[in-house]
Amino acid sequence: MQNKLLSIEEAVADYTWDGMTYCNGAALPVGSCSIAFGKEMVKQGRKNLNVICHCGSQQINLLAAVGAVDRVEVGFSGLEVYGFAAGLNRAVTSGKTRMEDYSNGAMALRFFGGAMNWPFVPATVSIHNDQQWCSADYPDEYPCNRKIPEITDPFTGKKYGAFRTIRPDVAAIHVTMADIYGNAIMLGTEWNRFEMSRASKKVVLVADQIVHTDCMRQYPNLVRIISEVVDAVVYWPYAAWPQASPGLYDSDEEHMFYMNKMMKTEADTEAYCDQWVKNWNSHEEYMALIGDEKIEKISKTATAFLMDPYRKWIRSDDEIRELQNMTKG
Amino acid sequence: MDYTKQEFMAIITGREIKDGELIILGVGLPMLAGYFARSNHAPNLRPFTEGGVYGSSPVGGLPWGIECNRISANATSFTNAIDALGFLVLSGRADNAVIGAAQVDKYGNINTTGIWDEPPWKVGKYLPPRVRLNGSGGASDISVGCKSYLIMASHEKRRFMEKVDYISSVGFLTGGDSREKCGFVGGGPAAIISTLGILRPDPQTKEFYLEAYFPFTTIEEVKACTDWDLKISQDVKAVHEPTIEELKKLRAVDVTGSLRKED
Repeated sequence: MQNKLLSIEEAVADYTWDGMTYCNGAALPVGSCSIAFGKEMVKQGRKNLNVICHCGSQQINLLAAVGAVDRVEVGFSGLEVYGFAAGLNRAVTSGKTRMEDYSNGAMALRFFGGAMNWPFVPATVSIHNDQQWCSADYPDEYPCNRKIPEITDPFTGKKYGAFRTIRPDVAAIHVTMADIYGNAIMLGTEWNRFEMSRASKKVVLVADQIVHTDCMRQYPNLVRIISEVVDAVVYWPYAAWPQASPGLYDSDEEHMFYMNKMMKTEADTEAYCDQWVKNWNSHEEYMALIGDEKIEKISKTATAFLMDPYRKWIRSDDEIRELQNMTKG
Repeated sequence: MDYTKQEFMAIITGREIKDGELIILGVGLPMLAGYFARSNHAPNLRPFTEGGVYGSSPVGGLPWGIECNRISANATSFTNAIDALGFLVLSGRADNAVIGAAQVDKYGNINTTGIWDEPPWKVGKYLPPRVRLNGSGGASDISVGCKSYLIMASHEKRRFMEKVDYISSVGFLTGGDSREKCGFVGGGPAAIISTLGILRPDPQTKEFYLEAYFPFTTIEEVKACTDWDLKISQDVKAVHEPTIEELKKLRAVDVTGSLRKED
């Protein structure tokens, strides 16, 4: 097996490009999400993205707020109790970002279909409503029959819809822990990360912890993302901040509201990026920016016990640095 | 008695939930209503979230999201969207659900997607909304899959509309047998619980009428807050106030009091 550790700068440089179809690997808007990866994309100036945003998150909120997103497909675009996603919504209402709506279940099925390499999956939802009739890609057609076209069940003759399946160019998937080869364990709901890891042409894992492969050999049933489909592994503790990572840290309530407030205007977004996105060049600086007090607070999570079985396999920062150097040159 | 409209709405919604039901709960008021019901009269309720979080109860206050650590600290299983929304909801297996609405029409169709000055159905075009909301999330899946579900909404004229701007989640479409013709496995909305009363669908026309109103309002006020010509049940009555016991159980779920402040 190949050691796939890459720095976040290398991973973004190697696996993202302007105009790509990008997918944020996340577990709903408050939880797990590869937000650090999205921030690095902003730093490297990626633009004209087609984002498969299978759930809202601060990552998509930020990417849209800086004007990097031309088109987005969503099941849900908000931040749950933290409110509507101000940056994403600004991009949509201004016409900068075209948004295609589906149901959450539809997005899951479309990843499943993509993983199977099927041309379409039958739709029993997102039909007979405006998710079917309204298309941002064909705004002049109402009711539209090109987004979720009507099909006939060959067995019963009943009418349903057809969902286009999803094959993103790259998914950057947040996981609780991975080994250096790309085997990963996710704590908390997977949301669509299992299907997405098989549907995407390339997969980058963004892991809060790197563990020994012995951990995977102890809990092989829990390894839902496998090295066989993974191209790169980025080690980045607190990668989902200000969102949560079950077992490791809670969402940063104060910063969730603050960040979303800053996404409301272009000027505030720029100020936010200067301070919180572009103002670090290493993981140490990223941690310093969050601050010890905040780190301590969010790390006192009621879910911490979930990590207990895995702790003995966690690799140290020094060990990981050494392993990372081995992948260079 | 001292309680907020939102708390009242959560208790009334909770009373509609039956013991033993397999129920999918969204974050906020739906979760509050569900966990209140479980502690009040439905000890065998089987709540789950659309992320596939099973067997858990909130700790430290109402969760910020359906996958928040506050609902992930005592789960018996974590699965995924395909499982929760697909195998349990779209399949027709789940009994009940509680969903919210920014706009709801007289047939229980819901809009949670956006607000337009000129809605798509009126202009025959799909232009960007004036206000973008959240999209349907899992509510659309619930609306076609669950055996039955409850709608919670703030009772205002701009929200209780003759026709919503955009149908994110289907109710009874244009009434009568129009939903039945679509062949969805789920049965449609059983009630709309608003901040002012309880609305039920007429068995034939499927138009929602006022069945009961809350003690702090009047039939006239409910009608004035409804955009369509709201029909009133012949047996319309005032709903009885929450008991001290009910409020206590509700607040034991909402420990941080997030719903104790009026909106």
